[in-house]
Amino acid sequence: MPDSNPFADPLRFQRQVPDCAIVIFGANGDLTKRKLIPSLYRLAYERRLPATVSIIGTSRTAMSDDEFRAKMHDSVKEFLEDSPFDEEQWTGFAKSLHYVAGDLSDSALYTCIKEKLAALGRTNVLYYLSTQPSYYAEVAEKIGAVGLGHSDAKGWQRIVIEKPFGHDLASARELNQRVHAVFAEADVYRIDHYLGKETVQNILAFRFGNGIFEPLWNRRYVNHVQITAAESIGVEGRGAYYQEAGAVRDMIQNHLLQVMATVAMEPSAAYEPDAVRDERAKLLRSIRILSPEEVPLYSVAGQYAGFRHEPGVDPASQAPTYAAATFFIDNWRWAGVPFYIRSGKKLPKRTTEIAIQYNMAPHALFSPGEGGVTMRPNLLILRIQPEEGISLRFLSKQPGSGMRLRPVSMDFNYGSSFGERSPTAYETLLEDALTGDATLYTRQDMVEASWRVVAPILEDWAKRKCEFPNYEPGTWGPAAADEMLARQGHEWRNS
Amino acid sequence: MTTAIDPEKILRDLRDLWTQLAHDQSGPGGVLRACSMTLIVVAEHDDALDAEQARKTIGVLMHGHPSRAIVLTPREDGEFSGRVFAECWMPFGGQQQICAEGIEITADSEQTDEVARLLVPLMAPDLPVVLWCRGPRAFLDRSLDPLFPLANKIIFNTRAVRHPSSAIEFLRRMQKDGRQVADLAWTRLTGWREAVAHLMDASPDGWLAAGRKGSVRIQHGGARPGTRSLYFARWIERALPGMNVTLSPVAGDPGMHSVVFAGESGEMSIRLAGTGSLEVRTGDRVYSALLPPDSEECLMREELSILGRDPVFERVLG
Repeated sequence: MPDSNPFADPLRFQRQVPDCAIVIFGANGDLTKRKLIPSLYRLAYERRLPATVSIIGTSRTAMSDDEFRAKMHDSVKEFLEDSPFDEEQWTGFAKSLHYVAGDLSDSALYTCIKEKLAALGRTNVLYYLSTQPSYYAEVAEKIGAVGLGHSDAKGWQRIVIEKPFGHDLASARELNQRVHAVFAEADVYRIDHYLGKETVQNILAFRFGNGIFEPLWNRRYVNHVQITAAESIGVEGRGAYYQEAGAVRDMIQNHLLQVMATVAMEPSAAYEPDAVRDERAKLLRSIRILSPEEVPLYSVAGQYAGFRHEPGVDPASQAPTYAAATFFIDNWRWAGVPFYIRSGKKLPKRTTEIAIQYNMAPHALFSPGEGGVTMRPNLLILRIQPEEGISLRFLSKQPGSGMRLRPVSMDFNYGSSFGERSPTAYETLLEDALTGDATLYTRQDMVEASWRVVAPILEDWAKRKCEFPNYEPGTWGPAAADEMLARQGHEWRNS
Repeated sequence: MTTAIDPEKILRDLRDLWTQLAHDQSGPGGVLRACSMTLIVVAEHDDALDAEQARKTIGVLMHGHPSRAIVLTPREDGEFSGRVFAECWMPFGGQQQICAEGIEITADSEQTDEVARLLVPLMAPDLPVVLWCRGPRAFLDRSLDPLFPLANKIIFNTRAVRHPSSAIEFLRRMQKDGRQVADLAWTRLTGWREAVAHLMDASPDGWLAAGRKGSVRIQHGGARPGTRSLYFARWIERALPGMNVTLSPVAGDPGMHSVVFAGESGEMSIRLAGTGSLEVRTGDRVYSALLPPDSEECLMREELSILGRDPVFERVLG
């Protein structure tokens, strides 16, 4: 809501999404039915979408509007998160759903979309690319070819692109170039759903909203940082995709480097989209690029036993289902502090967390004694999933005589302290895109910087033949990953 | 019969309650104690049902605003007693039961000074204190006055007051005295005000022109305008000082029924269209806007989420 509105009351009013249309390419796909439509329904349920919104789904499958509505009805019922389904609310929401069938490579589809938008009287349009990545540039160009895609005085035109943004630096640049031929950078919203998670946003609140943590957030006090994204499941039918992408492209280049940037960035002068993104980008540019000699020392590839038997996977596949890397940030705050990042499939449990390990107390005043514990460093855990929250581990005196210490944990549980439902990442990010807030979206320079960081690892792994498989399902990955930390005197926090 | 309440004993009872809750918890997760404020609730005089309703509302509010709740029931029989209780719930998908704690105090209305002294050690330290006066009694007698200085924010409800202008004047005086006040009658207007603000967003130039020499007609139910209609009129006057705002009664329930803005460029109107929705007309366009739920819990939830200053309401009162 602009400041000039004398009726504005930002303390109480919801952000207002203007009259607009959302065009979803790939409306018959998994993302649409599991995330996009349930999130849009929930936004409508909470009165955060205008009653006049139009949602146009497109895909190759022939379907009428009513058939599309029926299909989405079942999807919302099945995939709506932490929320009741309201038939009456659905009836109103369903009226906003429309469907246009067509081939993404066929210009006629875009003419139909243009006519549909004109018939609905919509000049503000959000295009959502939920298609195969190989179509991204072509779809953007074809939108431009029918005279859409340019924001002007009549309305805005924005495009949301799902990751991966290219498969390496060169392809990311090419994609950006082709998309920019139609959409200005300010209208390109590259979505990384990790940044929409409440806990990831809470990292900024935790660091910059409190006075006591930021003074300890630097090389003087922090010993090292571990960022873990572990999945207990395998590739679950996505073998063909995963074989091409691998763990670095699937998780590290995007999600985990963005999380690392959020943990390590400098405070921005204001909480405004470009100010925050400037700091994230600056941090990503400060990550030291590994030399070819360093890559084997600071990165580990893994593949679980059985991956090569998954449907669609080459029996001799060299795709890593596990990746671990050590990164260093070459700036004043973090010089010399290792940031260990790992992501893998078929690990013992599903967890995503950031563990910040502090230096030990400088002098061991208390001896372990019988039954006591040796001194341990303080640990700050920022849990992203499944139980979102923050824990601080410190030592405390065990009750009773003598001075025995034992570790205790001070927990903040997001869901417990704020018992109300948190919006899902897609609800947050969709609403942001519809209101023009790009704070949590990735910018071109950030994408390019993170490709630069992982490029030496990808190049090295592509050249050499790894001894795969090298870890059993249900374990914490290959032994080489433990050795990588052991060389620095550290060990993974496997709990 | 007057019985002195020992705050130390109440705090001890609270500790025992937590120990008991932890023992009773069968799952592995334990009980999580959550507290983000002290919420003091004044139930209506000698009204056990009102106190019960207050407790139910608190039970719902605790999920989003875990608090140490203190329910105060004034009585005439001289009884002065206190007891502790807990409100527990299992969050969606969670493994750990969350509990928030409560204290119920019954006291003679003549003893409010003593109650105020008793409340000081019972309030959760270092956290905001919100006082919620549920009924119209706070406007009628001064026995609750000693409680006001304890709170960072005081929430009233003028919906049922007999003299709306006097009630607003009372709130204005409190604000002038430096107290942060809120009124659930104002909270009920959020949906209406949001609809007006959105109209303005759609056509800011037309509005600013209308603001110079336009007029606004507000229709309300009941013979006299209630606090909601008065607040609404004042809100528009403060936002667009050039507007000529008039209030007129129509048949129906008390409260807002419609608002019509007229200016050189035409008319815009917002009307109540059945339960929970508004019909908005601007030019040829007609659409409906859903009103937020106006249950006591929802209104309180909105107020508890604003613990700092509320500049818009301050301007309306000021």
